[in-house]
Amino acid sequence: MGGRIRGLMSGIAALSVLVACGGATGGGTTTTTGADIILGAPLSLTGSSSKEGGLAKQGYDMWQTWVNQQGGINVKGVKHKVQIKYADDQSKPDISAQLTQSLITDQKVQFLLGPYGSGPTASDAVIAEKNSIPMVEGNGAAQAIFSKGYKYTFGVLSPANKYLQGVIDLAATLNPKPSTIAMLAADDSFSQEVAAAVNDYAPGKGFSVVYNQKYPNGSTDVSSLVAAAKAKNPDILLNSGHLAEAIAINKAAKDLQLNAKLFAYSVGPSTPDFVNALGKDSYYVMDGSQWTPQVKYKPTFYLSVADYTAAYKSTFNTQEDPDYHVAESTAACLALQKAIENAGTVTNTDKVRDALASLDVMTFFGEIKFDNRGVNVTKPMVVEQIQTDGKHHTVFPSDVADKQVQYPTPPWSQR
Amino acid sequence: MSLFVQQVILGLMLGGVYVAVAIGFSLVWGVLNIVNLAHGALVVVGMYATWFLFTHAGIDPFLTLPLDAVVLFAIGYLVQRGLINRVIRAPLFFTLLLTFGINLVLINLFLLWFKADFRSVTTSYSGAGLNVGAVTIPYIRLAALVIAMLLAGAVGFFMNRTRTGFAIQAVGADKDAAQLVGIDLRHVYALTFAVGAACAGVAGGLLSTVQAISPTAGEPYTLQAFVVVILGGLGRVSATVVGGLLFGLIEVLAQSQVPGLGAGWSNAIAFAVLVLVLVLRPQGLLGRLA
Repeated sequence: MGGRIRGLMSGIAALSVLVACGGATGGGTTTTTGADIILGAPLSLTGSSSKEGGLAKQGYDMWQTWVNQQGGINVKGVKHKVQIKYADDQSKPDISAQLTQSLITDQKVQFLLGPYGSGPTASDAVIAEKNSIPMVEGNGAAQAIFSKGYKYTFGVLSPANKYLQGVIDLAATLNPKPSTIAMLAADDSFSQEVAAAVNDYAPGKGFSVVYNQKYPNGSTDVSSLVAAAKAKNPDILLNSGHLAEAIAINKAAKDLQLNAKLFAYSVGPSTPDFVNALGKDSYYVMDGSQWTPQVKYKPTFYLSVADYTAAYKSTFNTQEDPDYHVAESTAACLALQKAIENAGTVTNTDKVRDALASLDVMTFFGEIKFDNRGVNVTKPMVVEQIQTDGKHHTVFPSDVADKQVQYPTPPWSQR
Repeated sequence: MSLFVQQVILGLMLGGVYVAVAIGFSLVWGVLNIVNLAHGALVVVGMYATWFLFTHAGIDPFLTLPLDAVVLFAIGYLVQRGLINRVIRAPLFFTLLLTFGINLVLINLFLLWFKADFRSVTTSYSGAGLNVGAVTIPYIRLAALVIAMLLAGAVGFFMNRTRTGFAIQAVGADKDAAQLVGIDLRHVYALTFAVGAACAGVAGGLLSTVQAISPTAGEPYTLQAFVVVILGGLGRVSATVVGGLLFGLIEVLAQSQVPGLGAGWSNAIAFAVLVLVLVLRPQGLLGRLA
């Protein structure tokens, strides 16, 4: 397996050499090597989001390896290799902002890749704006980031309000049709936007939200909320929060025998950890996902979906598929690369910003095209489910799905 | 009504976990006058120990608790004897700094060894429970509460009925006098810290069955242990038991039973009660006056 991938990689490398030579012998456009492009990325390598921050770093590293194997970013025939300077923001927005400024001032980074999470992204966006440095991010989905009129921040991922919409749309097609929703949401801005969108969207699809409760971000015990939700006997249990809370909620739902027909959590189930931690208790759980390894996009550059998945497994020597946090981070890099190429300049950051604003490119992650706020509104969210084979499957929308949804979820006592 | 009963039961069970976490913290604070900021990290050591034995050796999480205690006892003894004893006579600020440092070192060791992955101990019987009408009593949480009470009883017995316990109390009361009657201070210090750490290990083992395990999972528990001890009062096991159960109850009921306020207020309410106790009864509900 590893050998085949290495073969593929060296094939790509050989191909790029060939292309370069071809250009040279063809006369005219000789490819030369320019100065390295220096990117800065404040990331949560420790702290509450260290898991997700690590995944984002994997996504950045994958692209960096690939682009440098190609000789670098091609700016009008001059290839610039890429360096990424990381700084650990400890998952804290204020520290993230300080580090972003120091990356710009001390490390002289030319462009920024986003941090992990809506909080740090929002605070770093201020710094990017102040310094007129374009920041492309793949891990901050709260619309609050983009509602302040910033011109230098671009997010490749679908905005927060779409996270659980797919689940609602899917639920509306199910038989027997669920009708009631209980919603537990963390109190950070991203989770609150996800929850608010569900409250706005669900009634129009024929659902009633019978329980809607907010809990402090990072809560270790959510059993009392789950008990209160259970008292309303909901058909659907939704959570918009984070991995640790999703695990705690699923455990409490089992402990307290909350037998919903459908369980869906915005963040968490997509990670391998969720299945590893919960085993069979993770089956039937759904999540709204930015991306899955099963989607069927036809990219115009970089790797195909299948090649990306294979390259991930060989790069990190794992059997796990890349999770969407990895993919969206790589996608942010791709958007930046394409914009730099389109702008035809490394030094004129305003031109690169304009190129980002007018970007429209199809990648393995989906279409990347920003609206005037810098939000990627063209790419849909998909719904994935952990099925009884213990694997993640894409179940909605049906044109990208690889499996039928498993529904309804059996009661805990019959699993 | 049944929801209220359910919440009270959940509150007591959560309180049981707080008791387990806070007992060791209270002991170390009361006797050594150390506010151990690494206590949460020691709890996490217990979590990982239970997770490791469960995942790799198939040992039931509840059977791993004595092993957690032994491992943490050893770690605690070495940390106190090798590190904290060196600054024990220095002002409080130095031990605060040192334990804060130990906390950082431990968390980063977890990150190094276990990565930032979230893990959990999910047994075949997790989720089983006793149903009384609409009220569910999950066995695992119930067992955690019972074990926390047993742990409290054991520490109480150890402190009040054994020679070593008397020695620890003597050191807590007057270390110079204790030294005069032939008590080896450094050993008793280390022993006290070791017992505190062992309790943290048991608490971690219990927590591993109800929540996700990650390197930073212990952070909230240092704060919660602190609050429980303030609430109950320093220097008595029974005070920690009352403080822990009460804090669990307040948190859960504030989360779900206060009309008009969301769960987002539960921390505010719990800490408002704490401030109230500090104002009206600064020694804690059951604490002795210093």
